[in-house]
Amino acid sequence: MNFKKLLLHHGRQLGTLAGLLLLVLALSLRTPYFLTVSNLLTVLEQVSINAIVAVGMTVVIITAGIDLSVGSILAFAGVVMATVLQKDLPVPLGLAVGLGVGVGCGLLNGLLITIGRLPPFIATLGMMSIARGGALLFTNGRPVSGFSDGFRALATSQFLYIPMPTLIMLGVYVACHLLLTRTRFGLYAYAMGGNEQATHLSGINVRLHKTLVYGLCGLTSAIAAVILTARLNSAQPIAGMTYELDAIAATVIGGASLMGGQGTLVGTLIGALLMGVLRNGLNLLEVSSFLQQVIIGAVIIVAVLLDMTLKQNRK
Amino acid sequence: MKTRILLRRAALLGLALGILATTGCNRTEPGANDSRPRVALVVKTLNSPFFLDMQRGAQKAAEQLGVDLIVQAAEREVDVERQMQIVENLIQTRVDVLCLTPSGSKELVPVVGKANRAGIPVLIVDTRLDEAAVKNDGVEFACFIGSDNYEGGRIAGAHFGRVFTNDTRLVVLEGIPGHETADSRVRGFRDGIKPFANLHLAASQPANNERDQGFNVMQNMLQAHRDIQGVFASNDMMALGALEAIRAADRAGQIKVVGFDAVEEARKEIAAGTMEGSVAQNPEAMGRLAIENAVKVLQGEPVPDYLPVPIELVTR
Amino acid sequence: MRGIGKSFPGVRALDGVDFDLQPGEVHVLLGENGAGKSTLMKILSGACRPDEGEIHLAGQPQRIATPHHAQSLGISTIYQEFNLVPHLPVSANIFLGREPRRAGFLLDRRAMRRQAARALQELDVAIDPAAPVSTLGVAEQQMIEVTKALSLDARILVMDEPTSALTGGEIETLFAIVRRLRARGVGIVYISHRMEEIFQIGDRVTVLRDGRKVATHRLADVTTADLIREMADRELTEHFPREAVEPGPPVLQVRDLTTRTKLRGVSLELRRGEILGIAGLLGAGRTELARAIFGVDPIRSGEIRVHGCPASLRSPREAIRAGIGLLPEDRRQFGLVLPLSIKHNVSLPNTDRVYPRGLLRTAEERRLAQECVTGLRIKTPHIDQASGNLSGGNQQKVVLGKWLARKSDIFIFDEPTRGIDVGAKVEIYRLMNRLTRDGAGILMISSELPEVLGMSDRILVMREGRITGEFTRSEATQEAVLAAALGTTA
Repeated sequence: MNFKKLLLHHGRQLGTLAGLLLLVLALSLRTPYFLTVSNLLTVLEQVSINAIVAVGMTVVIITAGIDLSVGSILAFAGVVMATVLQKDLPVPLGLAVGLGVGVGCGLLNGLLITIGRLPPFIATLGMMSIARGGALLFTNGRPVSGFSDGFRALATSQFLYIPMPTLIMLGVYVACHLLLTRTRFGLYAYAMGGNEQATHLSGINVRLHKTLVYGLCGLTSAIAAVILTARLNSAQPIAGMTYELDAIAATVIGGASLMGGQGTLVGTLIGALLMGVLRNGLNLLEVSSFLQQVIIGAVIIVAVLLDMTLKQNRK
Repeated sequence: MKTRILLRRAALLGLALGILATTGCNRTEPGANDSRPRVALVVKTLNSPFFLDMQRGAQKAAEQLGVDLIVQAAEREVDVERQMQIVENLIQTRVDVLCLTPSGSKELVPVVGKANRAGIPVLIVDTRLDEAAVKNDGVEFACFIGSDNYEGGRIAGAHFGRVFTNDTRLVVLEGIPGHETADSRVRGFRDGIKPFANLHLAASQPANNERDQGFNVMQNMLQAHRDIQGVFASNDMMALGALEAIRAADRAGQIKVVGFDAVEEARKEIAAGTMEGSVAQNPEAMGRLAIENAVKVLQGEPVPDYLPVPIELVTR
Repeated sequence: MRGIGKSFPGVRALDGVDFDLQPGEVHVLLGENGAGKSTLMKILSGACRPDEGEIHLAGQPQRIATPHHAQSLGISTIYQEFNLVPHLPVSANIFLGREPRRAGFLLDRRAMRRQAARALQELDVAIDPAAPVSTLGVAEQQMIEVTKALSLDARILVMDEPTSALTGGEIETLFAIVRRLRARGVGIVYISHRMEEIFQIGDRVTVLRDGRKVATHRLADVTTADLIREMADRELTEHFPREAVEPGPPVLQVRDLTTRTKLRGVSLELRRGEILGIAGLLGAGRTELARAIFGVDPIRSGEIRVHGCPASLRSPREAIRAGIGLLPEDRRQFGLVLPLSIKHNVSLPNTDRVYPRGLLRTAEERRLAQECVTGLRIKTPHIDQASGNLSGGNQQKVVLGKWLARKSDIFIFDEPTRGIDVGAKVEIYRLMNRLTRDGAGILMISSELPEVLGMSDRILVMREGRITGEFTRSEATQEAVLAAALGTTA
């Protein structure tokens, strides 16, 4: 009974999970370097940035929106934070400023979409360019490098052998999963994506909550910026290019629909892991970077195609 | 019923992934030949002739020396974090030596530290690591193999000093901001033209090492400065883009373009007289030297801290 | 057309209808909403196929397979909603899909414009063929539709409510064109509600009622009153279990409500325990009234009082707080979030209870949804079922459940039984009884006259954004209500 219910409600996620496990199995057979504790921890560390960006993206996509500006916001938040950190101010202040920049850009996206009535694609396309340009202007195009050990520990330290970026990622997932499933904010996100008019007619302030959703997306981009900056010991204004595509891919592989109303963070996490494992494995197998791109693209298409055919079968 | 569909879907997805993962592996089985040393060369990108030449030189040397060579690169040159991931993954495969052309002078320092901790010797090729960052992190690398980019830029500047005798306005197309290689070239160029009072720098803007950006930036510069007579681009991709822009503006032959790297296409333009010159690095030699020295490091032989690779200005 | 029959799930839309059209006549189709006019028209235009019966064209039996096939047979249809591409020029719209070409694939724009100009000239229409359709007025767009139809060599032209968006002068122009077409021998099927118009332009009229043909007359032989009687006359066979409740004080008062869109000085009063029916034809402004009261459309002037106190209802949120619940006409589009479960749909307007201090109380959420499922007898395996998987009647109950959980006491039912099967209909009616018994007031908008007459304690009739009639339960007859809706005196 429980298993059946699990399948019914989380079939899509289980499917992706099965895919991930099979991939792990295949890679374990192909290369001796894959299934080692240190390699798996490396993968978990590597996926953290994309996985965190994908959290905000998933919530946006659940509301039937899209955010193309995540990579640029990441870069902008990163360089602003880095500049503050270099002024010998306390680390928490730097973090707060960086996260604030991310949230601010996200909220601006949200306002353009709700008050300005721009399609999300257009509004965030504009922001993608504005935030990127902002990052370049702010730094004159140069990376901001060299931070205190305390800050770098956010990427380099471990707790019980688990890398800090992975722990931060898990924290973000748990918090946002609870936000989506246990708060009215989450319910409204699904409702807006499923039927915005009916949600409005149920007395919900759609504009407010949609704006907040984009603010959240800006926040997760900024959290990813913290990890990236600490990891590279440098904040680059050109960081995060095409990260939006990776985040969308993880979200879609994880079962969210671009039409909105559907998607879970569990699915997205599995999607991000699948992409990370695939990239890691292809490196270990010495596959050329060109072929890697072909394979990743194929996986996205296969995952969504399977999902669509099976949805039709069910009807 | 539903359960069966779902299971079938899961199986299909996994199958597809499995097939993709295995068909992707068309190289020799790693670790198949345990006696041969495994050397990894991580370059910035593999869609530029420069790094392809480097790869060719490395491959030749690897064949001669009996080395298993792994060449990897990120999809995009600017994707520093991806290059870092590739190095991390190679550390996991326990390669014997790592040769790295860092896409970020400071950003790749932490991962070199990781290689140090894993006991894998590192050789830096083509682009230097930032000295301060290296010192701060206490990382080590066996040797730097690369052209003297500063010297290359200086040669190009001096060349303009010989060619132009009247008052002349020049522009510079810079590479990705903050990249050590590009910065050194531009710095060298500025110092190269300094002794000549008749040479004036009208503008200097980044075009991120890309051809289309070189075209666009050049087009804008031509609008803003109608009297430009010379262009220095810190790589040939941008130089070729600039050449197109000059042609599109119907000013071919009036503006002298000097690039950097002397890639095949640039050499053709130079031979045809449409391009003034290009500073030739020798990426093939760089690749060869990298592998030769990697083997030396493995065998415990001493290697120099800095191994300059010859550099010269190619003109018609 | 002979013996045409068509059924949709749960509805017999057409039953053995005969219809004939002579060349050079204007044949009017008349009937209430849902009488079968649109279905008959769709069959003629190839948009849907009859289950039974046959169609003869110029004496030959024909099966009209698709709209395209209908066009090639010389049957053109002008729908109420125009089929024009706004950003393309007039000429391209007239020839869309059969553009003149050169060398097989190149568009010959000049020939297209020339031919379009000629076609427009034939109808004496002064429109620039190069102008984008989006720059034209409604009347001009209609002329383009007519031109398009005629350029297809139409011998039969079907026009659905062609004057509904036109002003007096434009109607005259249209009629002139219709007369010219008639003189050319084109047969015209003309669908309209406007009685005065029918007598002006029509030659014959066929009255449909409940999917059956009542009669065909020459218009010269009948009066408006005859036609209305024929449209409305029907036995009230359906079961309407309205139980009278002693009405209490007013719960909702609306005075002189005017909106930018449709409403012009609407006043009404809804009392506790009362069902107030709102009748009217499509486009009379009934749904707009519901939207204005519910705070969806902004109000330009007028006043709304809830339980006697002036209320400012500028958003659905405020309307819901005031105790109003809307069951919209189109449940799937406005009432429910279909991918979400019953549970979540019920929670949506009740988050103050389900998420006190912002955090979910699972038990409360389940209790609320379970109460709704049990209390309204919603047929579903569990409350986690996606609401999109429910039948129409059960979906309607979920919408109702959203408001019941809030203890709302003013309900607006917009077409409460549309698309719901007979059994579920009666169940909805019983629920309405229960609500009024418990002290609620219900505003019921319906296009089904028997439903309005059978369930309402009082009836208001709307026409063109105004209230044009009020009837008590005892004085309301189908004829009287219909006459008020049509704007004529019975």
